Amino acid sequence: MDTNSTQVRLSAIGIVALCLFAALFVRLWFLQGIDRQRFEAASESNRLRVVHEEGPRGRILDRNGRIIVDNRTTIVVALDREPLRKLDESERQAIFADLADTLTGLGVPTKLGTVERRYADARYAPQEYVPVAEEVPEDVELYLAERAGRFPGVVVERRTVRSYPYGSVAAQLIGYVGEINEEELADVRGGSEDPAGEGQAPSTTTTAPGDGPLKEYQPGDSYGKGGIESAQEATLRAVPGRRTIEVNARGEVLGEIDRTEAVPGDDVWLSIDLDLQAHAERLLAAKIRSLRGRESGEGTLNAPQGSVVIIEPGTGQVLAMASYPAYNPTILVNGISSDLWEQLNDPNNGRPLFNWALQGTYAPGSTFKPVTALAGWRAGAIGPGNEEIVDGGTYTLEGCEGAGCTCQNAGRQKLGEVDFARSMTVSSDVYYYRLAELLWNDRVRLGDTPIQDAAGEFGLGSATGIDLPGESPGRMPTPENRRAAFEANPDVFLTGDWFTGDNVITSIGQGDVLVTPLQLAEVYATIATGGVRYRPQVISKVTRPVDPAEPPGEPGNYEVVRTITPEEVGRVEMPADFYLKLLAGLIGVTQDPDGTASGSWEASPTAWPMGGKTGTAQVAGKADSALFAGWGPVGAGVPPEYVVSVVIPEAGFGGDVAAPLAFRILAPASDGSLPAACPVAAAAQCRAAESQAAQASLDDVGSGGPG
Amino acid sequence: MLSSTAAPSGFRSRNLGDPRRHVDLVLAGAVGAVVVIGLLLVYSATRRFSDGNGFVLRQTMFAVVGAAGAAGLALVDYRRVADWWQALYAVGIVLLVGVLTPLGAVVNGTSGWYRFGPISLQPAEFAKLATILAIAAYLGSVDRVDLRRLAAALGLLALPVGLTLLQPDLGSALVFIVMGIGMLVVAGVQMKHLGVLVSLGIVAILVILNSGALDEYQTERLTSFVTPNGQSYNVDQAQKAIGSGGLTGYGLANGPQTRGGYVPEQQTDFIFTVVGEEFGFLGSSVLVVLLGVIIWRCWRAAQLAADALGTLICVGVMCMFLFHIFENVGMALGIMPVTGIPLPFVSYGGSSLLVSFLAVGLVQSVHMHRFS
Repeated sequence: MDTNSTQVRLSAIGIVALCLFAALFVRLWFLQGIDRQRFEAASESNRLRVVHEEGPRGRILDRNGRIIVDNRTTIVVALDREPLRKLDESERQAIFADLADTLTGLGVPTKLGTVERRYADARYAPQEYVPVAEEVPEDVELYLAERAGRFPGVVVERRTVRSYPYGSVAAQLIGYVGEINEEELADVRGGSEDPAGEGQAPSTTTTAPGDGPLKEYQPGDSYGKGGIESAQEATLRAVPGRRTIEVNARGEVLGEIDRTEAVPGDDVWLSIDLDLQAHAERLLAAKIRSLRGRESGEGTLNAPQGSVVIIEPGTGQVLAMASYPAYNPTILVNGISSDLWEQLNDPNNGRPLFNWALQGTYAPGSTFKPVTALAGWRAGAIGPGNEEIVDGGTYTLEGCEGAGCTCQNAGRQKLGEVDFARSMTVSSDVYYYRLAELLWNDRVRLGDTPIQDAAGEFGLGSATGIDLPGESPGRMPTPENRRAAFEANPDVFLTGDWFTGDNVITSIGQGDVLVTPLQLAEVYATIATGGVRYRPQVISKVTRPVDPAEPPGEPGNYEVVRTITPEEVGRVEMPADFYLKLLAGLIGVTQDPDGTASGSWEASPTAWPMGGKTGTAQVAGKADSALFAGWGPVGAGVPPEYVVSVVIPEAGFGGDVAAPLAFRILAPASDGSLPAACPVAAAAQCRAAESQAAQASLDDVGSGGPG
Repeated sequence: MLSSTAAPSGFRSRNLGDPRRHVDLVLAGAVGAVVVIGLLLVYSATRRFSDGNGFVLRQTMFAVVGAAGAAGLALVDYRRVADWWQALYAVGIVLLVGVLTPLGAVVNGTSGWYRFGPISLQPAEFAKLATILAIAAYLGSVDRVDLRRLAAALGLLALPVGLTLLQPDLGSALVFIVMGIGMLVVAGVQMKHLGVLVSLGIVAILVILNSGALDEYQTERLTSFVTPNGQSYNVDQAQKAIGSGGLTGYGLANGPQTRGGYVPEQQTDFIFTVVGEEFGFLGSSVLVVLLGVIIWRCWRAAQLAADALGTLICVGVMCMFLFHIFENVGMALGIMPVTGIPLPFVSYGGSSLLVSFLAVGLVQSVHMHRFS
């Protein structure tokens, strides 16, 4: 072995070693000196999870502070997908199968397919937990917590969901809460600061929605759908909290790094009186069930739906708004299956999700007559000296020949001598046929639309602006919009012209006239106040509890964030002599022996006399719609307290069906004997009250008058 | 070359040739420091396990046994040890064959372990030492490495390489090859022969990679460092750990990546990520420098060795360490492919620690007996 050569070769190896070490140092410096921040950030996103915490929604209370919508805690099994993504497909499958089997075995039926779908659900952010099972009992939470190693990436969370102490009471009015969908998410993220813009009357919002703290949304968050939940989303929603936690490679939580608590949403007080609401719903349901299947001259009484609206006339506050059929919102707490969704929207079921009180539109029939009368009085067609006719049961249009030229009272009833007041009390159609013809014939002087103009002053033909979403504007036909509709769709309509006959049927609230039960109540509220029209309101105030542990409606335990004040939206000028005669006629409806609702009022009288009007609207091919609208108390110097409207389609005569129901609802309210609303917890006792109400409805007698 | 007579007994010998006067204290000190650092890192990497302390205790035990073994071996003249090379080599080969039979335990798809209750032994580690001795003894006794001797030396090398590839343990096979090449170079193999050898090696690697003889995951591991986008989870997490350590690190047992167990095999193959994350650039540099000192002292011992046998033993050990260090640290830093070989004196593992100590013992022996 040549020593020199050995030294040379050794040196070469030494140089190689030096180079290798130099390479290590360069790389080390590159990672830790130059690129440090990038790796720090990468390491953080690795192990830190920002958990978004929605926080509890505000509660919904009735006018007396009773909780209609509350919150409760539910346990949810969810997936943290970050650690799961690192596993092999087969390992993941095994965990999912194990999880589905385990949950099912513990009494929480879970399909493997559901777990897999949720894992792949692209709507959730990568770091967001995705729920796989809700309403999990506490022992499952414990079981899974003890076996965290067996279920990497499976987390058990506690979430707050809605609870409904009174079950289905006011279901359509309050709406429900569901998972925010993609469209809504795009909406609330698209710069719109008021996620519930629609239905929120400008005047009711004293705090601009954009002023408060940012209420960010994440996929999977809850979102108000329909009713108050939707209209007051911005108020009810909590300011979300954030929790930064450190997790290890298996997804197990090592500790909490940072926490911002969620701020609960504000409580919303409704103007609704829970007792009156429950009472109205119970009686409405009993009435409809007792009607169904009965035969009438016009066909079978199907009574597919019905509504009752009760308003405080001096403020526009809604005291009750019942819509039948109802549903129990509890079934929607953990999401809606498509089956259930279809069921709730099926017309054959009466569309339980629909709030018929403001989404349903009906021909108002005779309840419309005060509007026509005002138009006629203003035109001078009726008035001092020329307000009396002889009602012979039929009316033939002037200069017209043929079968179509003669209109009749319902049942060809001959009502004899009829003045303006009596035309209301006994509901003479002939009186209004004549009036309508006079108005049309004098159209050069009066214009085409004196009736429609008066209707517009009462708010018909446009939405009332109630602080609830989805309201229908109804419809007021005019020669102008008749023509426009014809020109837009010539194939659909026979004609675009307006004839005397159109004026005639419009005058008694038939033909193309459509109103919502809410609008109808609004018309009679305006009459009750002598012409002052208020915007109907369901929300009375927004509060924040002082001590969250105490009941939110406890006096002294809340501070008021804002109060919603009554809002006058218009005045209807009614000449004094007209108004007095109108009142006399409408009071006669319940108080005069010939009044169309006098018999049923006697059967269940209110503590004070009422004014009102029955309506029986004919619908082609179906049984008549039964309507009643009225108010009480009436009398000189007595302020009106309640306005009621009752509408039940395919139900028969207004005087037989709608009026008795209205009196039965208001009678206990008038003398302070209103039965208390029945909480779900006490359902057994309430069944007795329900069957009692049903029995009473069956016994109701009508006065026989159809008008 | 100096020679000396037998030394009289007594610790402080006046005899300048007494081996006990020539202990390489720098080497011993560097090894001691690295072992202590290694224990700290094993502690940090395993404290999240339920029997966390067990790892440190077992490692400490092996370190004590290893240090004693190294001291004992250093006192024996390496020439006497080399006299037994055939027997040692034969034992090494038998152990490597035996581990392929059902006697060996299969861990992570590799049958590279003997298992005795709680203790596992890796015969490839011991075979490395036996092969160093064999090649050094064979080539150290000749003046010139001709083709016949080269072939014989290659044969001594090929046997353990082939057997470790059968496990399959690519990392260890590479260690044998690098070790062998280093020793052949220093032993004086002719440059033209070396050139042909290296060319053949390159061709062989390309053939193996393309033939499908390796499992897909092995090919991926070997090539993933070339294409950083396809980086594996391990390397990704390792770099996050090291990179986020910055200049001074998070402090012992405080590294978030380490605490969270994000780096797989962290107490063994990826132990360097612990020092990177928890002690930063400064701490990592200290460790790498100390490892460099060990390499340097082996290199120096090779230079000072009394004979070719001593030189080759030191070169073999040095190359073994060098490859282990560069491959292991380079893998954690993302500049070398991922193969499972330990960081000497640092990675958790009894066989590796024991053999590293014995290897240093041999180097010390060469150093201490250079005047005898």
